[in-house]
Order: sequence, then C-alpha cells, then structure tokens
Amino acid sequence: MRFSFFLSEAFGSMRRNWVMAMAAVITVFISTAILGAVLVTRDNLNQGATSLKNRVMIEVFIKDSATPQQTQALERKIQGMNDIKSYKYISKDEALRRFRERFGERIVANLPINPLPASYEIQVKDADRVDSVAQQFFDNPVVDNDPGTHNGVKYAKETVRKMLGTISLIEKGMWVTTGIFAAAAVLLISTTVRLSIFARRREVEIMRLVGATNWFIRWPFVLEGFITGLVGAMLAAAFVWVGNWGIANWIQSSQIDFLSLRVFRMWWQGGSWPLGLMPTLTILGALLGAVGSLVALRRYLKT
Amino acid sequence: MIVFEDVIKVYDPDVVGLQDFTCHIGKGEFVFLVGPSGSGKSTLIKLVLKELVPNSGRILVAGRNLGTLRKSRVPLLRRNIGCVFQDFKLLPNKTVHDNVAYALEVVGEPRRSIRRKVPEILSLVGLAEKTDSYPHEISGGEQQRVSVARAFVNHPPLLLADEPTGNIDPETAVGIMQLLVRINRTGTTVVIATHDRDMVNRMRRRVLQLEAGRLVRDERRGSYDQVTEEVGDAL
Repeated sequence: MRFSFFLSEAFGSMRRNWVMAMAAVITVFISTAILGAVLVTRDNLNQGATSLKNRVMIEVFIKDSATPQQTQALERKIQGMNDIKSYKYISKDEALRRFRERFGERIVANLPINPLPASYEIQVKDADRVDSVAQQFFDNPVVDNDPGTHNGVKYAKETVRKMLGTISLIEKGMWVTTGIFAAAAVLLISTTVRLSIFARRREVEIMRLVGATNWFIRWPFVLEGFITGLVGAMLAAAFVWVGNWGIANWIQSSQIDFLSLRVFRMWWQGGSWPLGLMPTLTILGALLGAVGSLVALRRYLKT
Repeated sequence: MIVFEDVIKVYDPDVVGLQDFTCHIGKGEFVFLVGPSGSGKSTLIKLVLKELVPNSGRILVAGRNLGTLRKSRVPLLRRNIGCVFQDFKLLPNKTVHDNVAYALEVVGEPRRSIRRKVPEILSLVGLAEKTDSYPHEISGGEQQRVSVARAFVNHPPLLLADEPTGNIDPETAVGIMQLLVRINRTGTTVVIATHDRDMVNRMRRRVLQLEAGRLVRDERRGSYDQVTEEVGDAL
C-alpha cells in the first residue's frame, strides 16, 4: 500500500473538514492540558514534600558538665547510625552567635555567662524514621534532659506525623484526579472522532463499494487521528511547560514575602519535568487519536 | 456469470426480499431487472455484492461461491464488479479525476498507469473537460457518467446498475444507456435494475421481472410489461 497516498488523503480530508479537525485538536489540547497540569502539580507537590521531609531535624542538647570524651563518644554513636544523612556540631559559642543574630545584641550583652548548651543537629534520611532515631538519645547521660523528661532531644514529632499524613493524602487525591481526567480525555476524544467519522460514513460506504479493503479505508483515518492527537498534545505539552515554569519563576523571584508564599515557594520549584512528561503527553495524545479513529471506524467496517 | 439457486432472503421482521429465487445470467449478457419498488431488485444486487447474505440458497458470481467466500476476500470480489447507483455515490470531496482514480488506487494500480487510464476512460464517457470539477459542480447526467467511468475503469467482467437513469432526464438517460451498451460490447456482463419503461421497451433485451421477491418472468428480447399470450395473440 502507498503511504504517501494515505498521507495526502489524511491531510486532504483535514483541510476539507477543518472545522472538525480544529474541534478534535482543541479537544485533545484541553484534555491533555488538564491531564498534564494535574501531573505537573503532583510532581511539584512531591518535590515540595521531599524537600520538607529533608528539613526534618533532630536537635540533641548536651549537658554543660559533659566531658570532651563523653561528647566524642556521642558523636561516634551518631556516626554509627544508619538512618542519618548528616549531622553538625553546634558549640556553645556558635549557639550564642546564632542567638545574637536572631534576637539582637541587646539581650545577649548583659549575660554574665553563656546559658546556651552545645548541641548536635541531626538530619535524618527518611522523615518516617525520625521517631526511632530520636528515641535513641532519650536516655543518654550526656543529653541535657530535665529529670524525668526527654526534653534534651527536640524534634517536631507532631508536625512530622501530620505532614506525612497530609502528603500521602495529597498523593492519593492526585492519583484519583489523574485517573478521572485521563478517562475524561479518552471519552472526549473518542466522541469527537466518532462524530467526525459519522459525518463521513457515506464516504466509507462508497470506499467499500469500490472494493477498498478495510485497512485501505482505515489508514487515512488513523493517520488523521494520529496527526490530530499529535498536534493537540504538543500544544498542550508546550502550554503546560510554559505554565509550570512561569509559576515557578514568578514564585521564586517574587519580592512579596508573605509566609504563605514562602511555603508555596517550597512547594512549587518546577518539578522534575519537562524531560519525562513532555514526550509522554505527546505520544499519549497521538495514540489516543489513532486508537480513537480505529474504534470509531469499527462499526462502519463490518462486512 | 451470476447463478442464483433457490435463494431466500428475509429481512428482520418478516419482510421478504427474495423468495425461492433461481436464475442464471451468462457471460456477456445484457439484462434488465424490472418490477415495482420492493420487489427485490435492490436485494438481488446487494446479494451479488455480498453486502447482504441470503438466509438460504446458493449464489455464484464468476464461478465463486459467495457462501464460502471469506470476509477478507469480499473487497476482491467487489473490485471485479463495477457498480452504478441512482444517487451516483461519488465522493463529494474529490474531483471527477480523483473519484475515478480512487477505484484504481484501491487495487494498488501504479501511479503511472493511473495517469494514463483515467483520462482515457473520462474521454470515453465524454467528460474530458470536466476532469478537475467537483461532483456538485456538474449536472446529474454528468455525475452519472463519472460513476459509470469509475465502475468501468478497472474493466470488470460484471457491471451492476441500480436505477442508473432514475435521477436524470430522459434524453441524458439515453446517453447513459448507450454507454452501458458499449461497455457490454467489450464483453462485460451488464445487469440493470430499472423502472424506465421506455428504455426497456426500446432496447428489447433479456428481462427478468420480479414480484414480491419472486421471479415471475424471464424473457429474451422482452418488454417492460408482461404481454400475456392471449393479449399477444389478440394483438
């Protein structure tokens, strides 16, 4: 069979039925753009969640009475732990310097001694493990606990728990949304294709009468669907890509520094896109168009 | 060329298409199918094209048994049958040239031979000047000639026409009929279902008359209406 003939048939029919072709392109564009937007949002949220998880920190305060040997022993213990990504020793002087930086010279100026304890700041590999890591310091004699408590070990226990819960909820919600929109996209596209083929069923009937094989009839339609899907999906991919970076840039460069925006900045950093999503969306759109044509043609090609 | 043996075709709720239909149409014949609307003429044509499948009986076309013909071979069957219809059935988006060329594209004819054959057949039907017109730009008679050109461009051994002159004025109809006769002279079997009384009476060819799905008359050199022996004698 002659490919160039099918291609020129496909383009010819798109030129003649350009209103229908436009409708199909727009349908593919809208549905893949929505799908892409959902995927990109999910991607950004995931990245935000990861960066939040990475900020989970445990602070272990050390008694002033601890000997250097005891402190070193504690450090070796920290080094030996598997779940730890990094740790940093904050000396009493460093702690005071930070305090001064944060609250101003005046409060510190009149202090006769440095009341701040030295500490270790520990970052955990996995936010889920923060509890079990922290617990390992609870009963250490070097840790500056008030009698009967574990307040020498500080970490955002409740916050972490809630955060993890929220993240998993958001992820689930996003999966559901993705599923719904993907289904909607398939339905919209197949309806559009069916309409355009219904409008041309007479053509199909004539083709069959002059002895065209089913595949001879199908090819131009399939190519047409493929091209339509390709164009719509490429537009959608470009749209989503520009939108994604636009939002990310706007948020990162924005001078406004409301708390909400700062939180948002963490959430929307641009995601790991566009390398994976762009071709996926495009191929998806093109396949949707082609398969949509095949399915819609089926009822007119029964012999 | 066409053999029907005890063919029965009944549509869904009990509408009779053909009833115990038996006939034999030889190679190179020129045959009129006559009878009122709903008598089974179109059913017969659709059965030959295997657009419909009979409830029982046997149909042979060019020696092939349609009952055992595989679905995938149906397009091949149709390529050997030229078809002309009352409503022309031209592709509205294609020019006269491309409509005829389509029948050749379908069989995978090389481009070079398409370029030769299409103008040839178009000048045979007298439409050489209308090559680049679209169907809606030309008259009904001209459209029907395009349709005949498309049906004959492959030089099929069999040509079926369902009311080919039904939508065109009598003078133009004569031209169409002459075209079909010329095609018949090349050896192609021609079967025409028609209501055109004058045409049938003038041509005096074999006539098959159908009535409610039954063959009621098969006459060589027949006329449109049945002339009974008695009336004939009286005349």
